[in-house]
Amino acid sequence: MSATALRTVAGPRTRRAPVGRLARRAARAPRSVARVLAGTATVFLLSSLLTFALGAVSDANPAAAVLGETATPADIARLDHEFGLDRPLPEQFGSWLAHALGGDLGRSWFTTVPVSDSIAAALPVDLSIAGLALLFAVLLGAAAGIGAAAGNGGRLDRAVTAVCTVLGTLPAFVLAIALITVVAVQLRLLPSGGYVPFGRDPAQWLRFATLPALALSLDAAAGIARQLRTSLVGALRENYATGAVMRGLPPRRVLFGHVLRNAAGPAVTVLGMSVPMLIGGAVVTERIFNLPGIAQLSLRAAEQHDVPVIQGTLLVTVAVVLVANLAVDAGLLALNPAARKARSAGAVRR
Amino acid sequence: MSAVRTIARQPLGRAALAVLALVALLAAAGGRLAPLDPLAQDPAHLLQGPGGAHLLGTDYLGRDVLSRLLAGTGPSVLAALEAVGAAMLLGVLPGLASVRFAPALAWASLRAVDALMTLPFTLFAIAAVGVLGNGLHQAMLALGVLLAPLFFRVTRAAALGLDRAQYVEAAELMGGGRVYVLRAHVWRKVLPTVAVTTAHALATSLLTVASLTFLGIGVQPPAPTWGGMLASDLGFLSQQPWAPALPAALIMLTVGALNLLADTVRDADPADGPALDTPASNHPADTPKEQADARRPAHA
Repeated sequence: MSATALRTVAGPRTRRAPVGRLARRAARAPRSVARVLAGTATVFLLSSLLTFALGAVSDANPAAAVLGETATPADIARLDHEFGLDRPLPEQFGSWLAHALGGDLGRSWFTTVPVSDSIAAALPVDLSIAGLALLFAVLLGAAAGIGAAAGNGGRLDRAVTAVCTVLGTLPAFVLAIALITVVAVQLRLLPSGGYVPFGRDPAQWLRFATLPALALSLDAAAGIARQLRTSLVGALRENYATGAVMRGLPPRRVLFGHVLRNAAGPAVTVLGMSVPMLIGGAVVTERIFNLPGIAQLSLRAAEQHDVPVIQGTLLVTVAVVLVANLAVDAGLLALNPAARKARSAGAVRR
Repeated sequence: MSAVRTIARQPLGRAALAVLALVALLAAAGGRLAPLDPLAQDPAHLLQGPGGAHLLGTDYLGRDVLSRLLAGTGPSVLAALEAVGAAMLLGVLPGLASVRFAPALAWASLRAVDALMTLPFTLFAIAAVGVLGNGLHQAMLALGVLLAPLFFRVTRAAALGLDRAQYVEAAELMGGGRVYVLRAHVWRKVLPTVAVTTAHALATSLLTVASLTFLGIGVQPPAPTWGGMLASDLGFLSQQPWAPALPAALIMLTVGALNLLADTVRDADPADGPALDTPASNHPADTPKEQADARRPAHA
């Protein structure tokens, strides 16, 4: 056998060299990946347009606000020029977006601190707490959902359903207040507010982050538990589950080895939908637990009508949400190849 | 009216309707039902427990908690209604129209809807208030814009399923105009779905209003709101650990009743309307995603 023949046999396999299962699937479906990315880019563009329009319709006169009552019209015109407010709106939008993509979100009108610096200081607080909240949500939600589905119709199932229903009606901040009252004020187990960066002292960070993360996570956990229970109960009735039971496999193995993977898809979707909620709910949680996060930044900016800061925080939030959505899509892809076909088929008419 | 009767036939639906009627009564007449002036301060009786002259106790300025709860119902409920009204206006009609009038516009509107769905409610409302001026109307308009996609998607998904139903095709074949078919054949079948979404959206916006007023957005401090009362109770947890429970209970009760109502409408007798979970049609809704959207609950 000649060397050329060997190469043709081995060629396709060695040349592709897929890193993992996910990469292999992504390589096989470049069009659907491209479509998802294009959709995300379009959505980001529209959201940024909306964010910018919010500032454009504002009747706030920043120059007058910054300079105070003694400003002359000439001063105001000079500052307007400095802020770039004397240029036509499309041009303003173009340069704002171009700078934003390069990481420059402009400067605060009042403190002249670069917006990206303020956000870079605040974002880790939110991301670390939202990450911990996601972890709590997945652990609690999965445990409750699997437990409820395993004991379908039993006492545990009814208890989980009842708790989830109550949690769904509670605003996150009521939970936060209840947690503070019980854990921080009555039991004195954890501090009721404040923050230590993870990089400085992970143990202290955990002490401060646990309560806010728990308060944020419970709503998402309830959603995951409910969704997981419903789809698990449905999947347990499928023929392949019955077949596995009839082959004599123990129920635990059927549940975890066969059914869970197929039933997890909707729960992952719910998890993805709860990311904007985690960030939106964080506004109030940050205020209650006195965390120096992005929502506090936005709230302070809103009180001052500091438009660049407001726009910057909103844009960064949108970016975080979109990245989370992409991560969920990738997770669904990894979980279940059939989902890819369904999603790309769905994308045609979207 | 038959819908109300259907709901009232079920005990849970009856309970939900009763709670909502009570809340509506409080919202309409809360200020007049209040036994005392909700703004009057009583320095001699600060942070009192329930009982005596103040039925539910007093807050840190000696103001009557019951009166403040009653007077605070109106603004909170009204604001939520305002947001949902704006959302329906922006969502339902375009949702119907996108199916039957302008398929070319559908792609653009779905992209816009996707964009709106990435924005978190509270943060966007804060941004709107920061830019447009501090007022509950501005915040509610912003919330309405963000809730509109929900109505758009749900209406569109339900109407898409009906679009190729045989009786709609028959009506078109017999020469019915597009507006006529929409009004006579599609709208009534879409209505229950819209009703479910309205209940969910009302619950969501009540929670958002509570969050916003908690943060002090949209209201001037002495005026009572549910969220504002929670915020002021927060500072006195060690003296009155039970105080936040009262406004929280009112919020929970209202939101719970709305969710319950939505569930009852959805589970309503199929003889009175289509099965609401899946749009009645011999064709499936055109994409799995849109089908899923029809069943998707409001996210907070």
